[in-house]
Amino acid sequence: MIDFGALDAAFALLSSSWTAWVFVLPGLIIGLFFGAMPGISITMAMAIFLPMTLYMDFLPAIIFLTAIYTGAGFGGSVPAVLMNIPGTSSALATTFDGYPMARQGRHNEALGLALTASVLGCLASYILLLVLIAPVSHVVLKMGPLELFVIAVWGLLLLGSLSGNSLPRGLLAGVFGVLLGTIGMNTAGFIRGTMGVPWLLDGIPTIPAMMGLLAASQLLGLINTSYLIEDEGLRKISMPKILSGVKMAVKEPKIIIRGTLIGVIVGSIPGVGSSISNLLSYSEAQRTSDDGESFGKGNPKGVIAAEAANSSSEGGAMATMLALGIPGGGATAILLAAFAMHNIVGGPSFIAQNKDIVYAIIFSNFAQAMLLFFVGLGFVYLAGYVVRVPLRFLIPSVLVVSVFGSYAIDGSASGPITLAVFSVLGWAMVRYDYPVAATVVGLLLGRLLEGNLLRSYQVSGGKLSYALERPGALFILALLVLSIVLSVISRARKKRRLSVRDAAES
Amino acid sequence: MKSTLTRRHMLKLASTSAAALIAAPSMLRADANYPSRPINVIVPFKAGGYNDRLARAFAPFLQEKLGQPVNIINKGGAGALLGHSYFLQQPDDGYTILCTSAAPYLPLNVLLQDAPFKVSDFQMINLPSQDYTLLATSKDSGITSIDDVIARLKADNTSLSIGLQPASADLVNLMLLMDMSGISREGLRLVTFDGGGPARNAVAGNVVDIALVGGQGFLPLVEQITPLLTFDTEVQDGWGGKLITDLGGADAAFVYGSQRGWAVHSSMMTSNPDVYAKITTAIEAASKDPATIEALTSQQLATQWRGPEASNKALADTSKVMAQYVDLLKGA
Amino acid sequence: MTRPQGLRISFGHLALLAVICIAVIAYLLDARATSLKPNNLLLVQPAALLALVLIAMVIPQCFRRASPDTETDKPKETWGDLAKVGALIAAFISLALMLDVVGFDLATFGFMVVALFLCGERNWLLNLGYSAVFTVLLIYGYGAIIPFPFPLTVL
Repeated sequence: MIDFGALDAAFALLSSSWTAWVFVLPGLIIGLFFGAMPGISITMAMAIFLPMTLYMDFLPAIIFLTAIYTGAGFGGSVPAVLMNIPGTSSALATTFDGYPMARQGRHNEALGLALTASVLGCLASYILLLVLIAPVSHVVLKMGPLELFVIAVWGLLLLGSLSGNSLPRGLLAGVFGVLLGTIGMNTAGFIRGTMGVPWLLDGIPTIPAMMGLLAASQLLGLINTSYLIEDEGLRKISMPKILSGVKMAVKEPKIIIRGTLIGVIVGSIPGVGSSISNLLSYSEAQRTSDDGESFGKGNPKGVIAAEAANSSSEGGAMATMLALGIPGGGATAILLAAFAMHNIVGGPSFIAQNKDIVYAIIFSNFAQAMLLFFVGLGFVYLAGYVVRVPLRFLIPSVLVVSVFGSYAIDGSASGPITLAVFSVLGWAMVRYDYPVAATVVGLLLGRLLEGNLLRSYQVSGGKLSYALERPGALFILALLVLSIVLSVISRARKKRRLSVRDAAES
Repeated sequence: MKSTLTRRHMLKLASTSAAALIAAPSMLRADANYPSRPINVIVPFKAGGYNDRLARAFAPFLQEKLGQPVNIINKGGAGALLGHSYFLQQPDDGYTILCTSAAPYLPLNVLLQDAPFKVSDFQMINLPSQDYTLLATSKDSGITSIDDVIARLKADNTSLSIGLQPASADLVNLMLLMDMSGISREGLRLVTFDGGGPARNAVAGNVVDIALVGGQGFLPLVEQITPLLTFDTEVQDGWGGKLITDLGGADAAFVYGSQRGWAVHSSMMTSNPDVYAKITTAIEAASKDPATIEALTSQQLATQWRGPEASNKALADTSKVMAQYVDLLKGA
Repeated sequence: MTRPQGLRISFGHLALLAVICIAVIAYLLDARATSLKPNNLLLVQPAALLALVLIAMVIPQCFRRASPDTETDKPKETWGDLAKVGALIAAFISLALMLDVVGFDLATFGFMVVALFLCGERNWLLNLGYSAVFTVLLIYGYGAIIPFPFPLTVL
């Protein structure tokens, strides 16, 4: 599957043009900063620097843009851990355990974990890409609505695990989120629930809603607290502790590999991508871990699972883009535009004829991932100082930043208004012990669920037998059921083991 | 107390600037020196789409002709309704111009979304990109020709699943084709997608049997699909298959797809005719510049100069046909 | 069996449930008014009904028998604390609404001053100074990277 001649040519290409490497570091740093700013999407960061690449050669231009892509992909995890702000939907699952870890004074470890899982996920995804680029491209286009619907349902399983103390409250929060997620014009052209507000036609803006539900609601509730971490002794910024997070992540290769597989596969599906893969990976890790019940309360494995999946989605999206010439999302659309600016059209013929360039792009991404580790260490070290800022300054500052971020998404008041509404809702929900994360998951999945359920219904003409014609969907469904059964069995076994031990002890 | 101060302050600012506008012969001066500051191009779609790419690729050449930097501002959302409204709210002084898919979005905004404007509030300067509906199938579908499609649908109009976007020119074209072929519209298995890209991917992957989508976007998927029918009077982009005029004769009924390009406020033609002339000249010069043509063609972007008259007429024609089929557009 | 204290009703929780319930019903009615076709209601109708069932299941949780041991768990929240949160929420909503009206600079600065005060910063010099510096940094920082202009009044 690997063409060694082209491999050689790729090395020659990379070693001959030193200019390509000059742009890696600035690209990563730009990406990190932009990604860490709430509301600035990866797409936006890349779009801003796209015109600059017009004056570069092809390879440096692509390397520069993919470096921004890689950097921004991790950058979003930093506010997710430190402030519960998922700057993008792909950092959502990172908040579930990352933020609780930070509140417990384990922010150093959490950031180290996130960084390492990101770097490893990204590396592994490009290794997979190297081998899988051709087969992946065959599968991607075969993904029909039923397959996507099953994937969305898989995501919904998270609602169960996010429910906390009361299952009905958790489910209500989730279903309410799903309903909110379907507001606007649906896939068949029907307009519901917009109350005549034009910007609701596209649905509730998810990122402001997410920031409101998760972050702003927390901040409002923290007004009577003086520091993010109550114990003064834990408010330290410590490189050894960050590095201990690194070690922790390395010790969980299973979670990283599973996260990477989910990330690459889901990331390669156009229009789904990293915003779902991090949820699936998190949910799988939670279900299969011995200590699944401590997820959501600061379990390092949750951070690893989320980050491994969202960063490896980059490799998946790149596979689709390179192999088929179709963008899976905004970021790859920008990359394709950059290709086009250099008179290169992605797609099957591009790969066939330019294997050396494809390999060169993949190799430079290896290098980017490794460099990200060192740049990222410095970045998270500095970002960690946030925990030492007294909350009386932090709360107003972060609230204002989130308002600016929500405005930045499309430059209208729709973002800030959504943010405000959802932060009040979120505050009330947290107060009465509803899992806001379930609402966010529902909100994110609502549109995907409805669109694909509807399309499955339309394609099949309402006949259930259609499912039998879709082995792919059945396969995913079987995987899903298998995963649930296995987790039930392993939990039962563990319970038995514990009770045996208890009996022995008493 | 504080709020009154603020308001007073605002009022003062507003009135000073208004006074400056009225008192100084600034309008005349603006005309003579136009453009004296950077120009904003509103793209009413998110970054990465056709209009965004067109605007960004064209901008360097346009700013060369205008002598001022050109900034791209993406104002996406609600099927371009938000961006179009925003654009009209900006002054018609030539410092804000629009790059949009005038058809079908302007008529759709008006027909379906209670837009606070009329299509004629926008003056097209040039709509170089005129897309057409392509009816295509997957290479693996076993369908070989449009006659095959029509024969199957005639036998049973639920026999094929049809991918398309709701409220689109493609939907109108499908229905016109069904009428022409004597196939009932009721009960067709329409599968609706949230964009042209997903619909094209679905047909390329043989998830739906046939799809009707804008033809230009199919170009990257040329190896996965078989083109069956082009809704145009002449062959476009080298697609095989038949033309709608082969089936229905020279006066076969169909509508064009997206018409994309450059527009300004209609009011500018009376309020700032000199500026209007300058913009038109600059866009014409940039469109015809060989360097532009080379750069845009390589990115599969259109740069043909059609001019204001032809562009406005094409848009008006499409609007008229779409108004006739407004019921079809209101949800599948 | 039952304690003499009787029921403790959580009115706040009831209010939240009422808001969710009204929102769900209003949405369902609006969707049904748009069209009764499956293409419109396939997911929305069952999901809305499920939500209503779940609300019915949660309502009893708003009425709890008061048990002294659970109440001593947490330090009791005073009305003052709650009022502070309320004031901060009010300030935040006004910030979101006023951005376009009075400009980002004034709205942000105003909110910073109020919010810092509410959060407990009583040194006015520090408050005003920090608010001003932060506002300026944010406007120029975000302004430099986002492709839209901020509506401004002073800066």
